[in-house]
Amino acid sequence: MITIKKVFGGVDVPGKKELSKDCPIEFAGIPGEVVLFLSQHTGAPSNPIVKPKDKVLRGQMIAEPQGTVSAALHAPTSGVIKAIEPRFHPVQARMADAIILQPDGEHVSDESVKPLASDLEDLTPEAIRTIARQMGLVGLGGAAFPTAVKLAPPENKPIDTYLLNGAECEPYLTADQRLMTEEAEKVIFGFRAFMKASGASRGIVCIEDNKPDSIEAMKRAIQPYSEIELAVLTSRYPRGGEKQLIQAVLGREVPPPPGLPLDVGVIVSNVGTAYAMAESILEGLPLIERIVTVTGEGVAKPSNFKALIGTPLSFLIDKAGGFNGTPRKVIMGGPMMGAALRDTNVPIVKGTSGILVFNVDQVVEEPILPCIRCGKCVDVCPMRIQPLWIAAYSERGLMEQAENARAMDCCECGACAFACPAKRPLVQWIKLAKAEITAMRRA
Amino acid sequence: MDDKLLITPAPHISSVKTVRGIMLDVVISLLPATLAGIIIFGIRSLQLVLASVIAAVAAEAIYQKVAKKPVTVNDMSAVVTGLLLALTLPPDAPIWIPIIGSAFAIIVAKQIFGGLGTNFVNPALAGRAFIVAAWPLHMTQDWLNPMTHDAITGATPLAVFNNTGTTSLGVKDLLLGLRAGSLGETCIIALLAGGIYLIARDVIDWRIPVGYLGTLALGTWIFGSPNGFFQGDWLSGILLGGAVLGSIFMATDYVTSPVTPTGRFYMGVGAGIITLLIRVWGGYPEGVTYAILFMNLVTPLIDKYVVPKYYGYMHDIQARKAAAGGGTK
Amino acid sequence: MKESKSSLGFDFIKGFIQENPTFALAIGMCPTLAVTTSVVNGFWMGIAVLFVLTFANVFVSLLRNFIPDEIRIPIFVILIATPVVIVELVMKAYLPAIYEVLGIFVPLIVVNCIIIARAEAFAYRNPVMNSLMDGLGIGAAFTVNLMIVGGIREFLGTGQIVFGSAAFPSVPFFEPAAVMLTPPGGFITLGILMALFNVTIGAKGKTND
Repeated sequence: MITIKKVFGGVDVPGKKELSKDCPIEFAGIPGEVVLFLSQHTGAPSNPIVKPKDKVLRGQMIAEPQGTVSAALHAPTSGVIKAIEPRFHPVQARMADAIILQPDGEHVSDESVKPLASDLEDLTPEAIRTIARQMGLVGLGGAAFPTAVKLAPPENKPIDTYLLNGAECEPYLTADQRLMTEEAEKVIFGFRAFMKASGASRGIVCIEDNKPDSIEAMKRAIQPYSEIELAVLTSRYPRGGEKQLIQAVLGREVPPPPGLPLDVGVIVSNVGTAYAMAESILEGLPLIERIVTVTGEGVAKPSNFKALIGTPLSFLIDKAGGFNGTPRKVIMGGPMMGAALRDTNVPIVKGTSGILVFNVDQVVEEPILPCIRCGKCVDVCPMRIQPLWIAAYSERGLMEQAENARAMDCCECGACAFACPAKRPLVQWIKLAKAEITAMRRA
Repeated sequence: MDDKLLITPAPHISSVKTVRGIMLDVVISLLPATLAGIIIFGIRSLQLVLASVIAAVAAEAIYQKVAKKPVTVNDMSAVVTGLLLALTLPPDAPIWIPIIGSAFAIIVAKQIFGGLGTNFVNPALAGRAFIVAAWPLHMTQDWLNPMTHDAITGATPLAVFNNTGTTSLGVKDLLLGLRAGSLGETCIIALLAGGIYLIARDVIDWRIPVGYLGTLALGTWIFGSPNGFFQGDWLSGILLGGAVLGSIFMATDYVTSPVTPTGRFYMGVGAGIITLLIRVWGGYPEGVTYAILFMNLVTPLIDKYVVPKYYGYMHDIQARKAAAGGGTK
Repeated sequence: MKESKSSLGFDFIKGFIQENPTFALAIGMCPTLAVTTSVVNGFWMGIAVLFVLTFANVFVSLLRNFIPDEIRIPIFVILIATPVVIVELVMKAYLPAIYEVLGIFVPLIVVNCIIIARAEAFAYRNPVMNSLMDGLGIGAAFTVNLMIVGGIREFLGTGQIVFGSAAFPSVPFFEPAAVMLTPPGGFITLGILMALFNVTIGAKGKTND
């Protein structure tokens, strides 16, 4: 087992995983309408290859990648294309083009959905990368970076270690935990495919110690493979952040932006992505569904669903027994980094790991007080920058000072704002500074 | 129903710590020392404490009303200021001393500079420094004997200690606080109990009191005796006077101390050095107030130069080295 | 050179409000902080400045069309030094006690920024009568300011105000605060007065602009 190195910062958050950690993954069903944004990944939006009124089958490609950093999009179920029109994008918080699919309820698979290989020996690294691109794989941890790009590091930067991120340090969410417990074999199969494609000789599965069932299952699954090790992390937010994980497990630090993990010979992928890779190879199934945790005190029956990409939130919440009381806040993602939504009539995207519903009791509505310079944000910042100053500069429009104070290093984990006794929206100010600095640099 | 959903930026959960809760913790941690002061120096002490706290809260409320600002007395910070000021007073001081001191602390040192979070010196200590400058006789002569509560004339134990390097008081008396001194500074056990509570509750950083008292002890050991170096009575040096009270409760004031752990340690060390300078070579018998006030002024400088090493900094250093090496070769 | 069109009355009164030297322009701080431990000191310091300022303003204004731009500051200093010497000698002769207290601050009026600033900013570009009124107004305002600061510090620091032979009897129960007679007391008094001035009179002056 890997010894864990010292990591700085972090906060102890209430886990709340018990709400849904013992609920087996269920198929959520086929909704009345499926909304597929052309941009649900990092990079260029995909290019639609279907027209309205076209009939499509489950797993059929409906939009192709545009450029290198992009991802394909597939129909999650069989049905008719109703329209290609702008809809409200829950993550980007703006109107964005989406393909609207009217399911016919038959759920008939396209003929392309068939096993591609049953053994990794039959596939070359190049073939694995091609499958990842064809199947529209993106990182399912949240950033949705196209997997095929990640698996093809530049030649002068060899990869020695691949980390499989099963830390799931966001409170409430249990999607990765259930997946590791129930589908350990497939997750490891996908992980081995990643390792082969990237040329990494060593693999490490990283799990927080609050998931004993997942640790057991994964331990068994990695038994036959000597090149894969297990790292058990103490539970502390944000241990599962890419950079924090590399620091904790390998003792390496990624260079500041635009530095990437591959600069220190590491790639990190989420367990959900590994599972999707396995499904692509073993079943020929593109990324058309994912595990979503629907939880929170505001949901009657917290659940873990296997949901079609593009399923409306309202459909999933209804499947989870509907609201428990009057909802005050609906969050897409976890409570630390997720986005609050103005209504539930929006679809999930590839990067959606959870839907969280809070009633009034869970919503913090404390007044924002002046900064008392207690330094708690400095203590907890995993990037070891000083959020209070950056936020203060940003608030006063001093973007150059904010840049000098290393605003761009911020990973937006929210630990500072969580810890702040004055309840200041530090992350919000820092995000603003980052946007302004990016605009300044472009100009 | 859906249109009632709240939109706020992430994160959507927050720690239970609030400004008010922190201030409440400080008040709780000061209660043992306050109680000890009342027992040791009599009911007169309670009057001073009440006058000081009430004056501080009233001054804050009145100023904010007059200045047409939201009244924020319920954040408890004024209570902390009033209480701290009272604990630094000689127990026989007239009742109007804490009232004027608190009013000065709140209005001049805190509110005029923008209120909680923007004051540049610790308000309680600024108030104390003002009354020491304004009515020096009251602040240096109104001492009482412990338990008997009769007024004493002559030098305080600390003044004697600074001149001779020795004290007639035993360690037990010093720990229990059975000596003449300021209202809340004498009972070391009560102060330490409060300090441990604050450290356990993660309110203050241990680096400030440890750095402060450690530096003071070391310095007293080296320079504190008239007979030569390395012979000073370092234990009495930190137990006499207000160093324990100041280092635990005043130097740790968030607003006026550095934000980084390393910076806080430097602040403690700096305050210890200045206290030592004033005690051993200076004209005043006690230097805690001015040492902390001085370090308050230095805090922005410490914050500017003591910054944590950001994640991945070693790569930038390497790149710089490589660039420099490439230039010379 | 642009000549001022403002009225003589305005040039006098503006010294008390918009261009109040102490509280609005924050010039002439040295004497304001150093000599204002009593009303009397403040009064005589103010009178000295009033005389020098008026004298210098008038002469600078009279000669403004003959002074070469490049060497105007040395010429201002000579024009200012003359009345300063007069004031110094007169004070030494007739008010030796006051001269003793004001000490170095009387000769230092030569480089007092109020006088240089008014010569440069006003008298050098305005007619004689306007400059005279400006000198009188600014000087009078400065005198009043010094007396206010001095009065507050004297009362709080000693418990009474002495002016000539008249003295307010000391107030019972009042213990004088020694700090008010020291430089910190001067800074605190000045700071609070400046703040009060700017939220009341100063704010009104600004809206008139």
